[in-house]
Amino acid sequence: MPALPPHLAMISLEFFLQQCLIGVTNGALIALVAMGYSMVYGIIGLINFAHGDLIMLGACLALSLVGASGLVDAGPTATWWGVVLLLLACGLFCGTLNMAVDRFIYKPLRNASKLAPLVSAIGVSFIFMNVGLFWLGPADRSFPELVPPTNLFSGDTLQFTYQDLLVVVVVVLLMVALSVLVRSTRLGRAMRAVSQDPTAAALVGVDVDRVIAATFFIGGALGGAASVIYSLYIKTIGFQMGFQNGLYAFTAAVLGGIGSIPGAVVGGLVIGLVRSLASAYVGERWTGAIVFAILIVILVFRPEGLLGRRTREKV
Amino acid sequence: MPLLEVCDLEAGYGPIRAVQGVSLDVIEGEIVAIIGANGAGKTTLLLAISGVVATRKGTVRFMGQSITGMPSHEIVRLGIGHAPEGRRIFPRLSVRENLELGAFCRTDRGAIVRDIEEICSLFPVLGQRMSQMGGTLSGGEQQMLALGRAMLSRPKLLLLDEPSLGLAPIVVSKIFEVIAGFTARGIAVVLVEQNARAALKLASRGWVLETGRVSLFANAETLASDPRVRDAYLGDA
Repeated sequence: MPALPPHLAMISLEFFLQQCLIGVTNGALIALVAMGYSMVYGIIGLINFAHGDLIMLGACLALSLVGASGLVDAGPTATWWGVVLLLLACGLFCGTLNMAVDRFIYKPLRNASKLAPLVSAIGVSFIFMNVGLFWLGPADRSFPELVPPTNLFSGDTLQFTYQDLLVVVVVVLLMVALSVLVRSTRLGRAMRAVSQDPTAAALVGVDVDRVIAATFFIGGALGGAASVIYSLYIKTIGFQMGFQNGLYAFTAAVLGGIGSIPGAVVGGLVIGLVRSLASAYVGERWTGAIVFAILIVILVFRPEGLLGRRTREKV
Repeated sequence: MPLLEVCDLEAGYGPIRAVQGVSLDVIEGEIVAIIGANGAGKTTLLLAISGVVATRKGTVRFMGQSITGMPSHEIVRLGIGHAPEGRRIFPRLSVRENLELGAFCRTDRGAIVRDIEEICSLFPVLGQRMSQMGGTLSGGEQQMLALGRAMLSRPKLLLLDEPSLGLAPIVVSKIFEVIAGFTARGIAVVLVEQNARAALKLASRGWVLETGRVSLFANAETLASDPRVRDAYLGDA
């Protein structure tokens, strides 16, 4: 088949599939961040504005660790193990940091009006951003290419590299682990109980504060993993990266139905796809407007989000 | 030694002093009734015993140990179950998960399974609805679930807040039948009820609350024949 002339190239099926692949990979990353918003919202009804910046700090740590460990010059096997260790280290770091923020800032405000923790979260976001500014400096930093950008498909028509694969594999594994945790463990059952009725949960013997702390840890740890994947995939990090990425992920969480973990996944994939298709077919500068226009339309018709709950309960 | 000993308890919300200096005691295996009008402080009293509402003054002792100011989840572990006002079952968890959460502080898996089976023989309708979401049950079924959930912590004392409210008469008699059976299991009960007649029939002793204070305290029979109680709470002309 002869190659299409450039002005027609974008109507080819390969081009469309390629955009979808990019969209799914980006969407998976957005979904991972969105889960952190959704979990915290589900359990205490707080929109954790600092979540995006928490991920930025995870990326700072990842960059420092890579620099200190000399992972760049290691062989392929050592590099893969290095990536696993990075995921663990940044997961632990972000999880612990998120839990500490809850313990010292949100927990004392648990019985205050909803606005007090919300404003505090915005404050934490700015504090994190300033820490990131000190850590990284004002300019964007490039992240070393640890995972090779080798194409997994033969030929040039479709590109899906080891880097894309890493994103999809890690996100799918974490999602499965999270849904098993929430569905079928003692902690997961306690989390669902606390999110539905904290007082009733306390009255059956659930330590509500501990469950909330665990939720912050898990949501933060997912964010830590996201920070490593983001750094390896996007390869540019900066102290302001948390804001925009956080906004898209939060949008994904609302779109899918905030509080719902499958909803966060669906919302992330939808936003990833819309973003890549819009920037390919309409133009990069329109993507933000298109993503949010679609969000508004969906929310007008389904205010509870795509997978949000709309069950009628008898009182 | 009484099982539960509440001494001069004061509790409330913000500026509201819902409970003002209430004392009461429960002996092992006994059913006591607390009656009073809406807003008399009955629910707050139970919530303060369970540690949900903070105690401002006074003490609560359970089996000789002070539980004043102890967090709710530890109080449950000591053996005080609580079926709260409005039932408050978990609407988006299945009936089975609701019951399993009732046994949250226990680790004896085999015994939990047997206890759940026993609850299902007590309330067969729950057994038929095990995988249904709690929120889809009828009011009566939800009350049975709330009772079953509270029983699953294997309490020595159960606090029951308006278990008959808004239920059909046939369900009410079933619920009271089960409550009456608690004595045989060695479970003591503090029963808060609008349905004072039925509550005083079950109970051995009763307290009447008025605006956060105890206005009357006597044997259940004496209370049921007291003209003040008959006028105000039993609806006798």
